[in-house]
Amino acid sequence: MNREPSFDELVGGETSGEEREQLRRVHELLLEAGPPPELTAKLRKAPGSEPGVARMQRRRVVKRRGLLLLAAALSIVVVFAAGYAVSNSRHAGTSSAIGVTKTLQLTGTRQAPHAHATLAVLKPQAGNWPMTLNVTGLPTLPPHAYYYVYLVRDGKPWAPCGAFRVASSSQALTLTLNAPYKLRKSDTWVVTRPTHRGEPGTTVMRPVSA
Amino acid sequence: MRKNGPDMEIALDVPRLRAVPSNPAPPAPVPDPSDAELLARVAERDQAAFEMLYGRYVRPVFGLALRRLGDRGHAEDAVQEAFAAVWRSASTYRPERGAAGGWLYTVARNAIVDRLRRNGPAAGAELPELASSEAGPAQQAEESDTAWHVHRALEELQPREREVIELAYWSGLSQSEVADYLGLPLGTVKTRTRSGLAKLASVLEGELL
Repeated sequence: MNREPSFDELVGGETSGEEREQLRRVHELLLEAGPPPELTAKLRKAPGSEPGVARMQRRRVVKRRGLLLLAAALSIVVVFAAGYAVSNSRHAGTSSAIGVTKTLQLTGTRQAPHAHATLAVLKPQAGNWPMTLNVTGLPTLPPHAYYYVYLVRDGKPWAPCGAFRVASSSQALTLTLNAPYKLRKSDTWVVTRPTHRGEPGTTVMRPVSA
Repeated sequence: MRKNGPDMEIALDVPRLRAVPSNPAPPAPVPDPSDAELLARVAERDQAAFEMLYGRYVRPVFGLALRRLGDRGHAEDAVQEAFAAVWRSASTYRPERGAAGGWLYTVARNAIVDRLRRNGPAAGAELPELASSEAGPAQQAEESDTAWHVHRALEELQPREREVIELAYWSGLSQSEVADYLGLPLGTVKTRTRSGLAKLASVLEGELL
């Protein structure tokens, strides 16, 4: 279970009296409110134009059937993330408690031009940073060959965070991974096809912004 | 020698140089427009104002929708419906009747209630046979209201202040761990945390404090 932040640790001893009591009230409100939700990719950007707003509503009706199908897939992701959130959050049970520290969009390199993935790094637990990887479009590999998710630090593959296989390149996979390291904000991840000696090997997916 | 006409005109067109101070004062920072000003601009179909308002409110609206609907997909839809309603009806906002934040809260809540009606009663809406330790509707509404105000206030912080506050409160990291994670000196993290909390206190004063 996560530690609850200590007011005295956060504020220190530099304030006193009424000001300190006001900060304490803010501290309590933050704990009561819980974390703001991580925005989904769909909500990250405002609609781009006036017709965009109107189109947004029309599209919603058309998409309803598709969304029902997608909901099944989405629920898998939610179940994975909720599992972690339940143990992490004092507001367990609400979807807004799903704590995603960082979300990364990955895209395929020339070795996997049709691959796309979303990597969500969840709240840490005892030095572990659980992650979910939702990936599609990676080519299948020969028997006994695996893809690796590699933590990249200072521009180089730094440590592995898990391996996986792909049975069908058209099938979306949702995987649970872990980074048992002391992460830095600048850390990022790639998907590689390692050499037979277990070295990082060829990068087949990298962050979209890289 | 006398200059001809066109030359004289050219000479007159040359702007005169004026002495300027060696260290011109930096331009005064332009304050962010208020929510009410943004709504007025949205009513005139100003897309930039709409985007700014969206940036300020999308997380509080999404948080409210998630709490009430309990489903990410439905909550996404409710957020889109809420902002479509803001775009359509911004001209109906009357500042003399109350704060813009309250108006937006009402619009968002209506979109969420509409979505709730369309989806039918939620599983949790059924009366439990046994006494439940979960919060009742009134308490849930109060918690949603608190979360709305707090999440909205968080959007007022500088991104670097918001980042340390969110990591301090909801990542389970200590201040030293936050400093390690961000690659910042511990003192900087502590300063940003304190200034973030102080700013939240200022924003929430009169609302929840």
